[in-house]
This record gives sequence, structure tokens and C-alpha cells, in this order.
Amino acid sequence: MSWKPKIVAFCCNWCAYAGADLAGISRRQYSPNIRILRVMCSGRVDPALILKCYEQGADGVMVLGCHPGDCHYLAGNEEAQKRVESVRELLGLLGIDDRRLLLEWVSASEGDRFARVTNDFVARIGELGPLGGGASDS
Amino acid sequence: MGVVQATLEESAAKYKVSNCIDCGKCTWGCPVSRRAGDFSPRRVVEDYVGAGNLAGDRGLWECMTCGMCTQLCTSGVEFHEFVREVRPSLRRLISPETTHSDVFQIIQNVSSFSHVKPRTNNWVTVDLEIDPNSSTLLFVGCTPYFDVVFRHLRNDLLEIPRATVRLLNQMGIRPRLLEHERCCGHDAYWLGDVDTFDRLAKANIEAIRATGVDEVVTFCPECYAALKDLYPRFVGDLGFRVRSATAMIGEAVKSRRIMLRDSGKTMTYHDPCRLSRHSNIIQEPREILKGMGGLVEMPRSGSISACCGVSCWVNCGASAKEWQLDRLREARATGAQGLVTACPKCLVHFSCAMHEHSGQNQGEVVPVSDIHVLASGSIRGE
Ligand code: FES
Repeated sequence: MSWKPKIVAFCCNWCAYAGADLAGISRRQYSPNIRILRVMCSGRVDPALILKCYEQGADGVMVLGCHPGDCHYLAGNEEAQKRVESVRELLGLLGIDDRRLLLEWVSASEGDRFARVTNDFVARIGELGPLGGGASDS
Repeated sequence: MGVVQATLEESAAKYKVSNCIDCGKCTWGCPVSRRAGDFSPRRVVEDYVGAGNLAGDRGLWECMTCGMCTQLCTSGVEFHEFVREVRPSLRRLISPETTHSDVFQIIQNVSSFSHVKPRTNNWVTVDLEIDPNSSTLLFVGCTPYFDVVFRHLRNDLLEIPRATVRLLNQMGIRPRLLEHERCCGHDAYWLGDVDTFDRLAKANIEAIRATGVDEVVTFCPECYAALKDLYPRFVGDLGFRVRSATAMIGEAVKSRRIMLRDSGKTMTYHDPCRLSRHSNIIQEPREILKGMGGLVEMPRSGSISACCGVSCWVNCGASAKEWQLDRLREARATGAQGLVTACPKCLVHFSCAMHEHSGQNQGEVVPVSDIHVLASGSIRGE
């Protein structure tokens, strides 16, 4: 049982990434299984980028951006929502459980929330098991 | 009277020696040579003959392997197959410029992983007669993925598999579907990604054989060419027959096993390269359109049909769009009320060209539709 979930977290520069920073500064513990990738805005994360993670061996992908109305490029997070929806459809066609993909909003002041969202997702992927090896992917 | 000595010009003309060097039909017919840039099948060969290698020629990724050069060549050069065969080594030097952020290459690759079990039958509706014990299997291909990515261009792509099943049902065929169907690998093969192609081909052949069907039917010309021609190159006898749904429907319309209503419209037909030049299925789709009213031909049709402008989701840009718009204008100039094609990718490419340019060029182009969808909507008694 040496498997550890590999999870990619796309964090927007202005909110989610700052939230992750705050979690660190406040010494909140969060799972070491995530690899954070900073992007300027959650709207930049296009479907191919998300699918690429699964192609390269990720068991789960998180897209974390600013709360609705707070995106620093006005509506980037709305774009992210649409894109994540189409990735869910593509995952369905590929037979990959879409619970392996999470879109959440974390503000710069929500260090606690960042840790909680991350830990919950890591736990979820832990339950789903490795991509392909898990019973949930059909 | 002595022998009249011919001039040099006369001898050259008499023995047509200039044909050796000034043919150039390949380059004349090549859609990529028409675009900005310096790609020319002839120059590629000249460079190869001169330098003995291809020195990472980027142009070799621009080739759409549409086969027009091969079609026109009077010396039997199969240039598009040559391009395909050098691409695996070219890949190591220089990679192709993919479109849509690489999404289709990623999907293709993920679809080849043995631990991934794709489920692409999301389009099946209750009115379709599907029989899990049928001896005919419908291979669906990537259209369900196109539906997700290109829904903003047209929201009727899933009607293509539905229409195909309806037409097959009219012929008394109730096909079965694969539970887990993978991409056919066509693009991987033509882009020189032999490993991915190999995995996909093996997995699909194994899955199809396990069903015990006698024949596989496809509506996508690329799936057809892949299953029919490419898979046997690797595994020899497949153990099942591969047929084009488009050809079957065309024959059924001709023999009146499928009766279509006259739509009162005249259409023109764009031959997909994989169906026409690669597979010689040229007449059958025309039977469908004749069965529905009128067919009028574009100057570039049949075995010298123009390419749709993009292949394998690489190298799409302004010049590809311009090429496509040009084709749409060619369709309009025939006086036809619509352009019909039999390939989901051609359909997407032309729809994109219209969508992107609808502002200034709306009046110049024609609506584009899929032949199966059109025929299914015209089944008599429906
Ligand atoms: S800047 Fe944070 S989501 Fe756009």
C-alpha cells in the first residue's frame, strides 16, 4: 500500500495561490500530495491542460480560483466553470470518474479554507484509488 | 537530299524531355503549396535527393496527407505515404504544431491506456434499434468528443451516429456497439506516432474480435480507412469485414431499399479525402444525394476533390481558413443550396470557417451538412 495520490492544483495568482500562501504562513497543515501550479487566473486553465494532467499520471486535478464576482479579470472564473464542465463531459467519455476533478473558490484571506478544500480532495482521491486502478473508473 | 538535322528545340519537343523536370503536378495540386510558405512536394524530394536527408523540414508537418499529389502523379510516386513514413523520425527533431491546445492528441493518447475504459455511447436514444447480439458492429469514432469541443460551432454532431443507426435500421441492420471503444488511431498513424497507433489498433481489434461480429461499419471516413487499410498492415487478416456506412446507404438508396423523399433542393458534395482518394468511395454518396433531389458538382470533386484544409488537428491557421472559405465559395458558385460532406472532421472545419468569418462573408458561403443526417431526415414515411 505504498500508493500516494498525485494531485495537481491549478491556483489563480490573486486568490487561491495567496490563500495557499496564507495557509502556509498560518502554519495550517495541508496534504503534501498536491503539486501547486500558479496561473494568473483560473480562466486560463483550458480543458487540454486539465486532461494533460491525467495523461501524465495525475489521479486528481483541482482548479482553484477567486470567488464569483472577485476574479481579477472580471469573469475568468466563469470561464473556468464552463471549461471544467466540458472537461467533465470528456472525462465521462473517457470513462474517468469526474469526482477526480474539483473546481473551488478560495480567497486570499481563506488559508483555512484552502487547507480544508485540499485535504478533503486528497481524502476523496485516496478513497477513489489510483486512476484506472480504482473501481470508480469504468 | 541529305538528312534534315532537327534543331535542339525540335528534338526536345519530340521526345518530351522537359516532362522530366517540369511536371510539378504534385505541387500544383497540393493544398499546402497554395498557402503562404514554401512547402512543395517537389522541393521536399529535390532537397532529399540533393542532401540525402530531410533536415527536419517543418513543411512535412504541414502536409495534410490528402493524397492529391499521389493522385495526380504520372510517375507513380506515393508522396503522402512517404511523408507518413518519415514522420516517426521527424518527430524526434521537430514536433507538429497541434491545434486546440493538443486536446485531441491527449484524448487519443489517454484513450489508448489499457487502464482507461472509454464510454462513448452517450448519444444513443430510445428510438434507435441496437441489438447487443448483432453480427454487425457500428464503430463510432471520436464524434462524441468533437461534440463536446465544438458544440459552439454546431450542436448537431451527435445526430451523425444517430442518423447512421436510423439508416442502418431501414436496411434491416440493428447494429451493436462496443462497450469500450477507443480512438481508431488514424491521426496517430499519419502523424508518425506509431506507439500510440499500435496500442489503439491492438486494443480495438481485440475488443472487436471478442464480440465475434462478422463486420464492422463506420460512418467516419478516417475510422473506415484506419480499420480497413491500416489495421491489416499491422495484423494481417482482421477476422471481420470493414464497411463504410456511407457506401452501404448509397447502395441501398440506389437499389431502393432505402426510399428518400425529394427535398426539392440541389446540393453539392465535398468528397472527404479518406473516402474518395484513399478508399475510392466516390459514387455511393452521390447516389444518396441524387435520391433526395439534385446533385450538382463542384469543379474539384471526386478523386481530385479539394482537401478540407486541416488534417489530424495540426497546422490550422488563417491560410487554412482562407482555403476553406474558398472551398465554400466554390460550393456556392455551383448554385447549390448547401454543401454536404460525409466526414465529421470536414464538417467541423467548414463550420468553423463559416463561424469565424460569418461577419463579412455570410453571403458568399453555403450551409454545410452531414450526408447521413440529411438522408435520415428524408427517409420516406418519417
Ligand atoms: S484572477 Fe482568480 S479566478 Fe480570475
